[in-house]
Amino acid sequence: MTPRTAAAQVEVTVDGRPVLVRPGTSVAAALLEQGRWDFRVDPVSGRDRGPYCGMGVCLECEVTVDGRAHVRSCLERVRAGMRIDTAAGEDA
Amino acid sequence: MSADTFAPSLPAAAELSADAAVVGAGPAGLAAALELARGGLDVLLLDEQAEPGGQYYRRPGPEVLDAVGDHRPEGGRLVARVRAAGVRVLSGHTVWGVDDDRRTLLAASPGGAALRVRARWVVAATGAYERSVPFPGWQLPGVVTPGLAQHMSAEGVRLGRRAVVAGSGPFLLPVACALLERGVRVAAVAEAGRPYTPGPAALGALRFPARLAELASYAARLARHGVRLHQDTVVARAHGADRVEAATLVRFSDPGEVVARHDVDLLCVGYGFRPQADLAQLLGCAVDRDPATGDTVPRLTPAGRASVPHVYVVGEAAGAAGAPTALARGRAAALDILAASGRAPDRGERRRLAVRMASLARFTRLTAALYPAPAELVPALARRLPGSALVCRCECVTAGAVRGAAAAAGGSDVPAVKGGTRAGMGLCQARECGPALEALRADGPGTGAVPARVPLRPLPLAAVLGPAPGEDA
Ligand SMILES: Cc1cc2nc3c(=O)[nH]c(=O)nc-3n(C[C@H](O)[C@H](O)[C@H](O)COP(=O)(O)OP(=O)(O)OC[C@H]3O[C@@H](n4cnc5c(N)ncnc54)[C@H](O)[C@@H]3O)c2cc1C
Ligand code: FES
Repeated sequence: MTPRTAAAQVEVTVDGRPVLVRPGTSVAAALLEQGRWDFRVDPVSGRDRGPYCGMGVCLECEVTVDGRAHVRSCLERVRAGMRIDTAAGEDA
Repeated sequence: MSADTFAPSLPAAAELSADAAVVGAGPAGLAAALELARGGLDVLLLDEQAEPGGQYYRRPGPEVLDAVGDHRPEGGRLVARVRAAGVRVLSGHTVWGVDDDRRTLLAASPGGAALRVRARWVVAATGAYERSVPFPGWQLPGVVTPGLAQHMSAEGVRLGRRAVVAGSGPFLLPVACALLERGVRVAAVAEAGRPYTPGPAALGALRFPARLAELASYAARLARHGVRLHQDTVVARAHGADRVEAATLVRFSDPGEVVARHDVDLLCVGYGFRPQADLAQLLGCAVDRDPATGDTVPRLTPAGRASVPHVYVVGEAAGAAGAPTALARGRAAALDILAASGRAPDRGERRRLAVRMASLARFTRLTAALYPAPAELVPALARRLPGSALVCRCECVTAGAVRGAAAAAGGSDVPAVKGGTRAGMGLCQARECGPALEALRADGPGTGAVPARVPLRPLPLAAVLGPAPGEDA
């Protein structure tokens, strides 16, 4: 899924690795565009979960942003320098 | 309870007051806020999204609009008018509860700080969310609601290579088109009903040719791209290990008949929209069960005034009916509030608005009649769920466990099923499993509706400790 080149990209950190993303999108969109669907791990089953509702009600898209846990990534915008941590990153 | 009872070190919650507090900045909330501010009231507009617009006018950042295009520029214009009218817009603010006085709104700022909002009038414009019905595999990453597909496509994301869009309702068609526009191959659209076979139900809609033409144009675009439109068809199962890999479609009227199996990396399933009426409930407003949808809807006057007279409920929160109705309901409530505040608005304007709303309501009824009634569709789908299928995705409760709890003595009401299994007790507060949960409980005299619960959204600790604590956990 190639990001468009129309606007200058901004650098964020995903699970400790720097990546370039399009500015102005949600954090969920930025992760999905990296091909990521494993946003969190369901604590009961231990299986990966990804964004489901896209509007802030299901909470399946929660990630840690700049150290703040449980941020709904479908409602949060990316910012240059943002640190995004998924459950996969916490395991690593 | 005051903040210092709990956490003396935390600063007290900031207080804001206004003549009117509008919760939700979608078409309904924006229209209400604009009219109220124009009428001379001091208006606060709170919304948890990054920018005003709600679902219909949801706006990605300006960089995305430049690169991908603005589908609904009228949304941006409406927001600009709202700001110019002097409305104080608080984006990124979640209203998570209501204080014991049943009037003061408890909110959290983007940073998680607590905020208390007092207003003479409260307008709940909290919109709708999509009606989900569980099926085996619906928890797999890559299975999403049509609304998510719509929003991510509008942000310029190509969500997958090959998709199936399924469920029921007119929304499936534009979503499939949005995916095509991003280069996703859409293998099929599956609709549970038979709305696209002209029959007696469709005839009444002929009086609204413009709206029908819109649907027809989506259908034509899908046909041009070779997208199969299966009717009387539902998703029976999503297959995959860590991510969705395939979907099996079966006849709704005969689940034994497999219609198709498609290899997909994206499966979008939704059964229309349900009003988000929980804030109105916390404010003490009387609600009813809509017999056609099974949804909880606030009891309202035609202008949107609730049983608690300082509360109005507008837009989809009052019942799913589309963006034009949401705009009209927002204005109607604002004009009613202005009249009650002694700022008599133009009588003719209120009358014209009432005529327009009646016409929109007729169209909504006719459209709804084309698709299966959710109150029948959801139980039919829930009944055939295999026992191993997850119903509650938050707490991983299976259909079998829910059925077991519902069959136990005294277990037939929803609170008992929830207590016995933890189904619906998770973070989403039964927004995703609620309809199925209600359908799965044994028939009996139990309480059907899933009650509203505080907090409406899980919150950063500081926001909860700042004002009053939430009730049950
Ligand atoms: C995901 C999704 C996508 C949709 N896409 C379309 C579409 O493309 N075309 C179409 O015709 N219809 C669409 N709809 C239907 C849509 O709901 C209506 O057409 C229209 O947006 C309703 O307007 P509204 O003002 O009533 O509510 P909304 O537009 O839903 O606005 C409600 C707002 O309130 C906010 N809110 C809710 N609760 C709280 C709270 N507790 N605290 C703070 N803020 C809160 C929400 O974040 C939202 O911004 C969509 C619905 C959903 C759920
Ligand atoms: S995808 Fe459901 S809350 Fe973000």
